Amino acid sequence: MSDRPPAPTASGLELVAELRSALDRAGELARVAELNLRELAARGGDAGGPSLATELERRLATAESDVKELASRLVDSEHQGGRLMNLYVATYQLHATLDPAEVQATIAEIAINLLGAEKFVLLLRKDDAPGCDIALVGGTSNDRRDRREAPEIDGLYGGEVYAGGDPVVDATLEDGVLRLGPTADSKALAAVPLRVQNEVVGALVLLKLLDHKPILRAEDRDLLDLLSAHAASALFAARLFATKDRKLRTLESLVKLARGE
Amino acid sequence: MQPRKVLVVDDSKLMHKMFEVMLRQYALVYASDGRQALDRLREHQDIDLVLLDVNMPNMNGLEFLAQLKAGGGGDGMAIVIISTEGRDEDTVRGLEAGAAAYIKKPFHSEEILDVISRLPARSAA
Repeated sequence: MSDRPPAPTASGLELVAELRSALDRAGELARVAELNLRELAARGGDAGGPSLATELERRLATAESDVKELASRLVDSEHQGGRLMNLYVATYQLHATLDPAEVQATIAEIAINLLGAEKFVLLLRKDDAPGCDIALVGGTSNDRRDRREAPEIDGLYGGEVYAGGDPVVDATLEDGVLRLGPTADSKALAAVPLRVQNEVVGALVLLKLLDHKPILRAEDRDLLDLLSAHAASALFAARLFATKDRKLRTLESLVKLARGE
Repeated sequence: MQPRKVLVVDDSKLMHKMFEVMLRQYALVYASDGRQALDRLREHQDIDLVLLDVNMPNMNGLEFLAQLKAGGGGDGMAIVIISTEGRDEDTVRGLEAGAAAYIKKPFHSEEILDVISRLPARSAA
């Protein structure tokens, strides 16, 4: 037998190479750890366990605080997204038709479904006389007779015409400023002016909210402003189209008559 | 729950548009009252979530639920009532009629999405 060690095999050499590589990596990690500990020590504490734990706790607290702030911002963003979606859908639907009745129905749907109004009236200025037509009396009740008999929709809004009498509504019809109530002399929770090119052509008056929605919220103000700006123009365009369409049909009938068709 | 197809039952076109925007990740079909909703369920066998208004013409939401139950339907679907009727007894009546959840209008979009995500997954009927 020879006392010389056996010749290294290829696999043995690979093993050694891997071992050296692992030792190099371990050495590098040890250097990084040493540097970190020295850095911590230089910041004030010693390089021992307690200060490291304190530093880690501080970082953990910061991370938790960041997570909470991000969660809060996410909720705010979702909420803001919801508000913008409401505004988009309301605007889209107001201008989605040229039928005056459908525009009025959309105004009612916005009042009920997005604002949570239980009772409301839509007033439109008369073209050739003082006062406003009561174009729409709205509510969530299925029975339309109930709506006009409701205590909030009595007297001033009980007929076909609003001749004035609620100081908040009258002021809004006069100057076109959105007003929130109620006040001592007005039941109106909101008087929303309907304007077309700075001319006040009517108002949406909210008289009662759903019981589970006690007050108008800050975000509802956006919707009220939107109604003020878009509802009147949508109604105006629809009425104009309906008038022109009616005239066109009359003229077509006359032409057919003249041709003897 | 990740619904395959959602049936929106509401007589308001505004609400149809609202759900179209809010639930754009899902396949949606629409009905304007309870009768139309029953027709849609017959036409679309893969509907597994119904968002149901209560106050509607022709057939209201609770009547729809009663008809559905009487016909032996609704096993493979979740029903969420979304209504302006906000009293406690309205909620109880809706849940007793077979709804999995009751949401009051007006609502925030995240409320709807949250309720849908919390609904247990249903097996197909």
